[in-house]
Amino acid sequence: MSAFTLPSASLLAQSILSGIFVGALYGLMGLGLSLSWGLLRLINLAHFAFAFLAAYLCYQLATMGVDPLLSLAVIVPAFFAVGGALHWVMARFAVTPLNSLLLTFGLMGIVEALIQSIWTADFRKLESGYSALKFKIGVLYVPIPELITLVLAVAISVGVWALLRFTNLGKALRAAAEDAPIASAFGVNQKMNALLLAGTCSALAAIAGVCLALSFTLAPSQMYAWIGVVFATVMLGGLGRALGPLLAGTLIGVSEAVTMAVTAPSWAPIVSFTLLIAVLVLRPGKAA
Amino acid sequence: MHESGMAPAARAAGDILLEVRDLRVAYGAAPALWGVSLDVRAGELLCVVGPNGAGKTTLINTLAGLLRAGGGQMTFDGRDITQLAPHRFCAMGIAIVPEGRRLFTRMSVRENLELGSYLPAAKAYRTRSLDAALALFPALEEKLPQLAGELSGGQQQMVAVARALMARPRLLLLDEPSLGLSPLIVVDVFAAIRRINADGVSVLLVEQNVAMAMAVSSRAYVLEEGRIVAAGTPDDLLARPEIQRAYLGVRDDA
Amino acid sequence: MKRTPWLIVGAGVLLAFVPQLGLPAFYDSLLYLMLSWIVLATSWNILSGYTGYFSFGHGAFFGAGIYTTSTLLARFEWPFLWTLPMAALVAATLGVALGAVVFRVKGVRGEVFALLTLAITFVIGTIIVNTPLDGGQGVSLSAVPVPHIGPTQSSTFYLLALAAATLTLLIAWAIAASRFGAGLFAIHDDEDAAEVMGVPTYRYKLTAFGISCALAGAAGGIHALFLSYVTSGEVFTIAVPLTVVLMSVLGGTRHWAGPAVGAVAITALLYAFTAADHAVAGKAVSGGVLIAAILFMPEGILPRLQGWFGRGRATLTGAAQPPSASASGSAVGDASPFAVPHPDVAAVLTSPAVAAFASASRHAVPADVLLRVRGLHKSFKGVRALAGVDVDVRRGEILGLLGPNGSGKSTFINVVSGHYVANAGEIVFEGRDLARTAAHRIAGAGISRTYQIPRPFARSSVLDNVALATLFGGGVHDLRAARRQAMAWLEFTGLQDKASARPDELNLHQRKFLELARALASRPRLVLLDEVLCGLTPSEIDDAVALIRRIREQGSTIVFVEHVMRAVMALTDRIAVFHHGELLAEGLAADVMQRPDVMTAYLGRPYA
Repeated sequence: MSAFTLPSASLLAQSILSGIFVGALYGLMGLGLSLSWGLLRLINLAHFAFAFLAAYLCYQLATMGVDPLLSLAVIVPAFFAVGGALHWVMARFAVTPLNSLLLTFGLMGIVEALIQSIWTADFRKLESGYSALKFKIGVLYVPIPELITLVLAVAISVGVWALLRFTNLGKALRAAAEDAPIASAFGVNQKMNALLLAGTCSALAAIAGVCLALSFTLAPSQMYAWIGVVFATVMLGGLGRALGPLLAGTLIGVSEAVTMAVTAPSWAPIVSFTLLIAVLVLRPGKAA
Repeated sequence: MHESGMAPAARAAGDILLEVRDLRVAYGAAPALWGVSLDVRAGELLCVVGPNGAGKTTLINTLAGLLRAGGGQMTFDGRDITQLAPHRFCAMGIAIVPEGRRLFTRMSVRENLELGSYLPAAKAYRTRSLDAALALFPALEEKLPQLAGELSGGQQQMVAVARALMARPRLLLLDEPSLGLSPLIVVDVFAAIRRINADGVSVLLVEQNVAMAMAVSSRAYVLEEGRIVAAGTPDDLLARPEIQRAYLGVRDDA
Repeated sequence: MKRTPWLIVGAGVLLAFVPQLGLPAFYDSLLYLMLSWIVLATSWNILSGYTGYFSFGHGAFFGAGIYTTSTLLARFEWPFLWTLPMAALVAATLGVALGAVVFRVKGVRGEVFALLTLAITFVIGTIIVNTPLDGGQGVSLSAVPVPHIGPTQSSTFYLLALAAATLTLLIAWAIAASRFGAGLFAIHDDEDAAEVMGVPTYRYKLTAFGISCALAGAAGGIHALFLSYVTSGEVFTIAVPLTVVLMSVLGGTRHWAGPAVGAVAITALLYAFTAADHAVAGKAVSGGVLIAAILFMPEGILPRLQGWFGRGRATLTGAAQPPSASASGSAVGDASPFAVPHPDVAAVLTSPAVAAFASASRHAVPADVLLRVRGLHKSFKGVRALAGVDVDVRRGEILGLLGPNGSGKSTFINVVSGHYVANAGEIVFEGRDLARTAAHRIAGAGISRTYQIPRPFARSSVLDNVALATLFGGGVHDLRAARRQAMAWLEFTGLQDKASARPDELNLHQRKFLELARALASRPRLVLLDEVLCGLTPSEIDDAVALIRRIREQGSTIVFVEHVMRAVMALTDRIAVFHHGELLAEGLAADVMQRPDVMTAYLGRPYA
């Protein structure tokens, strides 16, 4: 039974703060997916698989004493390469957007099996120097792992936004997303650019995965739990927009948190999905 | 270096810049060009006219690298470009103003122009090229920050032409620049084309509006059902029954 | 192919004896699962495979069925078998309510529809978890008695699932072989063209969705008792829809039996791995199988098998062959197809129905106006394509529409045929204003059109492309009769040798003639032709001109957009010249073309 209880101001404020933190992770996870879908017309479910694989690798390296943030130095290039390779295959077979959805779902199954065979289905929690750290601002608790996620999410989103907005490459990507043949008529090598972009999207997934490992307990089946809310983030934020996922993620995260504070945790998903449905029905053109 | 900042002709005026021999192109399953041969000389302004469905757009798109030739040969500045990868045509010195403009509507006018000078060679002259383009189309100055998709047809045409100029081409290809534009704007656009040619850029334009095309060109080809059926100077051709018949369906005799 | 339903029923009856074999309960359960997945995948395919609207919400309707049954059993103590139709009903109602809203929105196709349905799943799941329906603890049905249908409890479920699977396969086959199914496949290939051809797309999609959800709901009802303890977390996830998609795509979404093939294959595969204690590897292998299928067999296993065994090209139902060209089997060969109509052709074309409207329209009274257009306006994002067009089309005439590119001719055709909706103005056809009518009703009213760039239904044969027009515009309801008539129209246009070919095997000339055959097959009184001659060689143009003449002789009125001048001069009774979205001139071709303002519009400067 869900009763509406009005929480105290400090509890509400803490809820909103944790909503911002989890929203930042949604945004970070959604960024690569949004860019891939908006600029490359490929819906990459393997994104989640890559994120989790990166999370597990980070965990593994942490058990061997490597600082999670340092492990990015290895993880990011590795996943960049993998992402590029995957795109190369899909481009070669001229996979349609719908089929890319199905194909990458198949890939998810494979990666899940891989993860489970190496790390088993047991829950794994990354213990790092950051885990227990937190500090207080007034009455609010700010945990360090979540703060790291927020900082990374904001920095990366802004960075990608600036890249798309101001650099030659960014403009080329946006132009090619709209009209690839004409873009190539002006010298844009879209094949190469697409590979770079795909690699970047996977790298972004990997970074999100590391942030995930910092804050959450890992289990292979957990991969699927994120699909719904991250898709909601992506579509609400508008495809192919760098700042969109972050803003949408924050909106979703905060409204989920407030809903949880006011009613019961199990009602939380309804917020994001109702928003998603509203967007899809009222502005389908904006989404795709 | 010309005042306008445009690239000077690499070849002396009169030399053949683009040579097309026996070009065969299939558009989808259907053959669209059945062995087209033509020349563009350096510094020329020439046009290819013909009715709808004749293959004009197929021809221009192939010359710009947007379509693959199925047979025949294209030579630009002495180099065989027939099998060149699409994104390398611009670096060769060929730029296109496509049919229907095909601007990047979700980007600003300024960004469209910057895309035109995407390649390093053109990018180095970006500021100068932009000034030259604005000198040619002063009305665009205040439109720079606007989204290209919000402009009127005539303004979009200007942006499309300017975008191609930003690439500092030696050969400018225009596909039906008068399409969907009101007569006054068409006059402006063609005046601009004349000035561009006067600055040394060779121009090949494809048009359904025979009169405007002939008025600015020094030479013309007539394309009908995928084949060149006539070639010569505008005055020669306009007097010929082929044009009259193709466009008006009436014989000059009666 | 009327054998098929008997084969399905026969197989069902035969398999009903399996419990008599006395196999261990484990096998009953395995087979139950296989059959349950067959129901889920096949039912999903009825909407998503046939129409191309990939739903990721099948889990929601399965879940709705599960919870309907569990609530009725646990709370209201209904007898189990009575809960099943209720489960189907609830699921169907949910689906139809969702579809009624979603299918109305124009932009919702492809990926958007997929995500929408996925979101619905989570919303419904959340609601169920938070209300007394589940309450977070799930629903226990262990106290509910299982009816005695089979020798053992597990065999009861097997038999129930068998019945459901047989029913589902029968329904899937029946739809695929019917006019309804033909419409669904047309929606898949080109929804707009289908709508303009007369397929009531909204109604059809909604019906398919309802049937699909009902069957999923029924499967859910059975599954509730099978599980005996129901939790929402297991049901309202992405797992069910994705598995169902995997099975259908693997087996082949165009064919009624494809999903069943996929379901059997995947269940067997997963079982093999689970039994060998490699459940995890099983997941990986099924993922790999899906990838391989997408890359190398995008149409699925079944079509590939059909191809290997030479079962003929893909047609409407994937199984039937087109009727032979003619009873007397004379080869039309190289003879001009328009010289002497074949006896069958003549029979169709002189049938009472055709003769009736032919004689009715052969008034030869030029003043009889068939189509009256007044003040037609159409704008696209601020660009005025039609700026107030007034034109009359007289019965039995051939009217040519001319004008430079961008002058509004094609837009005119698009608006009159219903492809676009006019912003203002009236289009009065035989006394009815069609200006804001749905496209499929315009087709039903007697107007048909061709497309400038041919838009055939890519995955249907040439014959079926024409048969579709007969089914939906021509008021024929039987598939076989439609095919016979379609064959006659193919002979009329000289395409009879290509009846079983796919459109992409035709050259441009043949594809244009296919467009013509399609436009004619619905027996329209007004035919709108959009640049039919564009891209044809001179001799092909001569053929087309002759054909258009014969079409008029059959009694149709023709309006055509054209640039090929000699065809315009040869065919038209009158022409109308468009310029900047308005009518510039109207009248006899020779007169109009000599007018100075027309010459200026075309050549840009006054001619002496």
